[in-house]
Parts: sequence; structure tokens; C-alpha cells
Amino acid sequence: MRRRGTIQLLFILPAVAWVLCFTLFPLVYSVRLSFYNARVGEPEQFVGLANYATFLHDRRAWESLGVTLVFVACGVTVQLVLGMALALLFHRPLPGRGVLRTLLTAPLFATPIAVGFLFRTIFYEEGGLANGLLGTRIPWLSDPRWALASVLLVDIWQWTPFCFLIFLAALQGIPEDYYEAARLETRSGWTLFRCITLPILMPTVILVLLLRLTEAFKVLDIPYTLTGGGPGTSTQVLSLYAYFVGLRNLNFGYASCVSVVMLILVTGMILVLFRRMRQVYQ
Amino acid sequence: MLRFWWPTGVGCLTVVAVLLAGCGGEKDRGAAAARGEYQFLAWHDDGGVTLTTFEDKEAIRLTGDQLGTMFGKGKVPFAGKRIAILVLNSGPKGGISGPLYRLRPAWEELTGARLDIVEVPIAELLNKSITDLRLGGGQFDGFMQASWFMGEYATPGFIAPIDDYIKDKRFPRWDPAWMPPALRALYTWEGKWYGTLNDSDGQVLYWRHDILSDPEWHRRFKAETGTDMPFPVRTWQDVLDIAKFFNGKNWDANDAEPDTGIVMHFRVNEQGMFHFMSLSAPFVVIGGDKVTRGTNNYWFDPDTMEPLINQPGHVRALGMLYELSKCGPPAQSAWDLGTAWDWFLRGKSIFVFSWGDVGALVQDETRSKIKGKLGAAILPGSFDVYDMNKREWVKLETPNVVGNTVGGSWHGVISAKSKNPELVYSLYALMATEPVSLWNANNGWTGVDPGASIHFLPPDGTADLKGYLAAGWNESDLKLYLKAYHDNFFAKTMMPYLRINGAEEYWRALDQNLSATMVGTLKPQEALDRTAAEWAEITRRRGREAQLKQYQSAIGYKK
Repeated sequence: MRRRGTIQLLFILPAVAWVLCFTLFPLVYSVRLSFYNARVGEPEQFVGLANYATFLHDRRAWESLGVTLVFVACGVTVQLVLGMALALLFHRPLPGRGVLRTLLTAPLFATPIAVGFLFRTIFYEEGGLANGLLGTRIPWLSDPRWALASVLLVDIWQWTPFCFLIFLAALQGIPEDYYEAARLETRSGWTLFRCITLPILMPTVILVLLLRLTEAFKVLDIPYTLTGGGPGTSTQVLSLYAYFVGLRNLNFGYASCVSVVMLILVTGMILVLFRRMRQVYQ
Repeated sequence: MLRFWWPTGVGCLTVVAVLLAGCGGEKDRGAAAARGEYQFLAWHDDGGVTLTTFEDKEAIRLTGDQLGTMFGKGKVPFAGKRIAILVLNSGPKGGISGPLYRLRPAWEELTGARLDIVEVPIAELLNKSITDLRLGGGQFDGFMQASWFMGEYATPGFIAPIDDYIKDKRFPRWDPAWMPPALRALYTWEGKWYGTLNDSDGQVLYWRHDILSDPEWHRRFKAETGTDMPFPVRTWQDVLDIAKFFNGKNWDANDAEPDTGIVMHFRVNEQGMFHFMSLSAPFVVIGGDKVTRGTNNYWFDPDTMEPLINQPGHVRALGMLYELSKCGPPAQSAWDLGTAWDWFLRGKSIFVFSWGDVGALVQDETRSKIKGKLGAAILPGSFDVYDMNKREWVKLETPNVVGNTVGGSWHGVISAKSKNPELVYSLYALMATEPVSLWNANNGWTGVDPGASIHFLPPDGTADLKGYLAAGWNESDLKLYLKAYHDNFFAKTMMPYLRINGAEEYWRALDQNLSATMVGTLKPQEALDRTAAEWAEITRRRGREAQLKQYQSAIGYKK
């Protein structure tokens, strides 16, 4: 028995070590660093809550947070709605469904950095593909509002397939009997969706929402490559701001503070969603 | 199962063999040179040598005197040693890094040593080097630094001065006197030399000479505006008037689309702020014998470190930049350097003001449609300049023209932690010798722009026209280009350069507010007031006294 316990411990040890080294330690160290004035190679100086006080008065930080919230709210909403619509479409017989499904999920496997550079050429305003095909002169990257829309479009293009795949899998788990019984009372597709599909799918919807919210809040690569955070700071999300503060200005203490603030916000969102998920299950 | 063992085994052995062949395949040029076997050097009886560059196999001849006494046929003074140089990631045929690759084999044969070239994106260059220096890692023996790094490196003693090496006849010979004072200032700190001659950055005004010297366009300008075309331009107002006239007209026969008056690059967090710096200088910088708040100064009050970026001269200049931007493609708010240059090279813009790379790229007919049509001159000036001492505008009879060194002026410095400082210096000094430096300047792709007297044509310098023509330059383009850069670097009044800790951080704050101004989100005064507030906070966080002391050293201020 004792030997079996030791063997079990040995098997889980690598995973535990991984979590401790690459998840817990950086988290604890980052939180600790947020209470210091820290620059590489210089003695750290304990400043207590000074970094957090700076954050409260930091106009750039609040601007970045605002951009992030708009990005998250708009992007995730569209991804969920579009993902669900596509899943419903692909849940029924469709010619070439297999091929189409594969093509639809392709963006998911593209490297975000490469996607950002690719869309820079697509959105090139003086003869790029987007304006060429649409016959327009949309200032995709040079106008603050269109730039944010462009970043959103790219993120939606890349992550809607993720929502689609999960919803499709969940739809295929709903017994057909429920729909057969419901069709005895109504033929309305919307009613079937509202009264059967959506309630059954709600835990999945909340899970996808949770996953996408968390990832969207951390977005960095697409705004960095597509717009650089501009024009001005119209697409400078909070992660990008933390990157500039930490890795370009070498102000690690304040960058850690910004990251901890982000962590608190995302954790708050997750707790709200988990509570809702529990209510749904109950 | 068993029948598959032998193809699997053969496959694995093949993979292992290929991997082993890939490792340890580095050629030891030093050992070969010690045996008198040379591939990239050809020795002459007079003690001189001809270097052959890697890949393009161009020949560069050095005399024995230029080469230094430590090198010679059969000599490998640094046999067995190895150094690593950190440089920005332009690749083996890109700016600044390219020359290192091209000269590496020849240098390895000369010295017997090995050179590792470590490339890093420009955004990470300071970060990576400072981390190595501050933590004492000693990973790198030298850095190809941008001039704005100097304060960060020199103040804590992270880099080694080279004054003694310059005088030492053992090393390849170059003369600091070739460099104008403005560039010497960037390569030195508090009177000591740290860098060897390499790149010389500064912005000049380029234009379509074929269009602006065409009498028909002068006639049309007069018919439309009622005034003569102010060409050659003397002030930024002249540039604006001409740019406004040409903007939106299809004045270039290369395509059927309308063209623009000017093009600039304002993609945020990149290099847009250099446009503002070079344009604003004549509105702000007054020359004089010494440095004061209002003379030979631009950035901060040299007594208090109060930011000066929102003074009336700076604000008026930003207004001018905004007006100029309306004469360019609206998309330029999101354009990086290369995209903006490409617009000009394709013949879509009358003006661009930028670095020496533009002149070189114009000669590359795979990219340029305007070879032979280039005009260039020192940046225009302003009749009005704001006196920051008297705190009032001054009207001048002749335009206040100010030279600039905005940009990187990339050059090699030696890590104070290097175990082989002489070896590192030998590489930099070789690149600084007259023949090699001239080869760099002749070939625009090297990113090494002309700035020393050895690069300019007589009477401004000692360069031979033939070298440039052999590298593919159009003669008319070249003469205007070199004259422009000579006038710029030897101008009576120069814009001072910011080389203190956090220079990048100060510039990023400026750049973000400039970008917001260019898209109409902020007005010029508001943008620069915000910048001043952010600069004050940066100074406070980094330590006002330390920043002030460094700034005073950087600009040569003495109370």
C-alpha cells in the first residue's frame, strides 16, 4: 500500500512541479513585485500601495482599460452569437458539411502574430484586398474607430470557430426525443431554440463565455501587430499597456501592478459566471 | 513488426548523421589563416590587404597603415578567442547588421577569432542589452547601439571608453576628425569616446526634382495660387504651400491615381516622433556659444528638468506638422517607415523628409521609379523662432535653419564586462577605416549613411565619385544627396539629442500624443501639455536629480 502511494506521488509530481514553477511562483512573484519599485539590476524599493495609487490616477491605464472592456464586450458577444448561429446551421444536413467545417475552423490554428501581419496587408488602405473587394476607401487602420473595429474583426475571425466547435459538440449531445416531443406542440424554430436548445446549452454557453472572456481580456498579439495600439491609443488594450510599461520602459513594479489589476477584474468576472453556472445546474 | 526494424533503424541513423553533420561544421578560418590559407583576404607586398566581402564578393583594399600593425600575413593575434555582438535584426543583407555578416569571414581570417552575431528586434535591443549588463551576465562583448542608449550605458560604466585604442597604431586606423561635431557628440560621453565611426543618421528633405523644376508646373502653380512657386524651399511654410498645390493631382505618370504632396510615417510606437523633432527644431532651437535654457536646447530646462516640450515653439511646429499631414495620404497615420518610403519611391509624393536610406533606396530600381529624379537639401527653417530664455517669439530676417541627428546613428560599443575588449575594438575599427566605411556608405543597403568627411565629395570631403557610381548611384541624385547631408551635419545650429535614461519612454509618450493629434483626437497644445505632464512623471519616478545630472552631461550644459 505504502509503495503504491509512493508510485502515485511520483506520477503526479511532474504536474505539480510544473504548476508550482510556471503558474504559482510567477503569480506570487508578480503580486509581490507590484508592491515594489523594481527595475532590472537595481535594488528593489518597497513602496507599498504606491503603484496602485498611481494606477488610480494613470489616465493611460484607464484609457487602456476602457478599450479592453469595449473590445471584450463587443468581440465576445459577436463570437458567441455567430458561433451559435454557425453551430445551428451545421447541426443539420448540409452538402459538403465536412469540408466546410474544416475550412471554418482553419483560422483557429493560425498564429495570432502572423494573422496580425496578414491583416495589415489586407487592410492596407491604398490598394489592399479589403477595400479592393468592397470597392470602398474605409480607413481601416488610420481612423481610431475603424482601427478598433479592425482589431475586433480579426479577433472575431480567429475565435468564432472556437465557439462554433464547442456549441456544435454540445448540440450533438441533445437527444432528438426532446425535439420530437416539442414538435407535437409547436413548429416554430425560434420557440424550439428558446425553450429546448438554449436551456440545455446554457452551461456550455457560460463555459464558452468564461473561456472567451478570459482570453479576450488578455489579448496582445493582434493589436500589437495590426495597429501597434494606435492610432493614438485607440487600440491600446491593457495587456499592451502592461507590455510597454514592463518590457519597454523596464518598470517591472508598475507593470506587475497593472497585471494584478487585470487579474482581479478577470477573477471577479469568473466568480460571477461560476455562480450563474451553479444556479443553472441547480 | 520485426520486418520494419531495419528501415526504421536506417531512418534513425540517417537523422542522427544529418544532425551530427550540422553540428561542428563551422569553419575555423583562424586556423586556416595561421597556415597561410586565405579565402577572404589577399595580401600585398606593401603590407596592405584586399578584403573580400561574404556572398557578394566585393573587394575592399586597405593599406598597411590603415590596417594597423597587429595584422599581417600569417599573423592571427587573437587565435582561439570568440566574441558575441548584439545587433538589431535586419538580417545578413539588412541595415546595420548586414555589414557585420559581410565582413565577418575576412575579420576572422585577420584575427584568428570567431564572431557570433546575435540579432534582436529593435524594440527588444535596449531591454536585452541592459538586462545583460545590469545582471552581469556577460553574454555579449559588444553592442551595435542606437545613440539614445548612450546615457543608459555610459553613466553606470557599462561600456568601455576607447580613447587609448584610437591612438594605438596596432589597430585599424580611423580618424575621429572625419566626423562633424554633432556626430562626435553622439559617439562620446563627457569627453570620452565610446563608439567608432559607423552610421550617421539625420533627416533631410527629399523631393521630386523633375516636377519641381518643371517650368510648366511653376506656371500652373502661379495660375492657381497667384504667387510664384517658392522653390527652392526655405521654410516649412514653403513646403506646405507646394504640398497643398500638388496634393490630390495626378502629377506623376506612373499610374492613373491622384498623388500626394507629402508622405510621412505616423504608425504609433514606432518612429513618427522623429518627424516632429526634426520639423520643430527651427521653431525652437536658437544657436549660440553655449547651452542655456533657450540656446542649443530643446527638451528640458537644464537647471530644473522642467519639460519644455509644450512651449509655444513646439506647439506651433506641431500645428505645422498637422497641416502638412493633410497633404499626404490619410492612411499614413498607420504607416510605418517602410510603407511611407515605398509611397515616395513609387512616385506618389512630392516630398518626404527622412533618413539617408531614402536616397540609397531611390537608386534601387527594383523598388524605385524615381531614380534620377531626386532632389535633396537640409530641412527648411522658420522665420519665427520662440526664444525660451526671453519667453517670446523672435522674427528673423533669414530663416532659422537647424541641422539634426535624429535617429539611431548606430555604432558599436564595447561591454565593460568583455574579456576581449581589444578584439571587439578591432572589429569596430576595421569597419571604421576609410575604405570599409566608404564601402558601407556607397552601398545604401548597409544602412550606414554618410556623415563623415570621407563620405562627401570634394570640396566638402575626400570621397571619390567613382565608388558611388560603381555602386549604382545616379550622379545628379548623389550630388544633391551628399550636399544635403553635409549641410545638415555641419550646420551652424544643431538640434541637441536626447541620450538620458528613459529616452525611449519619453519619446513613446510624445509619439502617442502626436499620433492622437494626427488623427484629430487631440489639439496640438493639449497633446504637448499631456506629453509634458507625462514627462514630469517619468522624471519624478526615475529620480529628478539623477536625470538632471545626466541631461546636463548629455547636452554639455555648464552652469
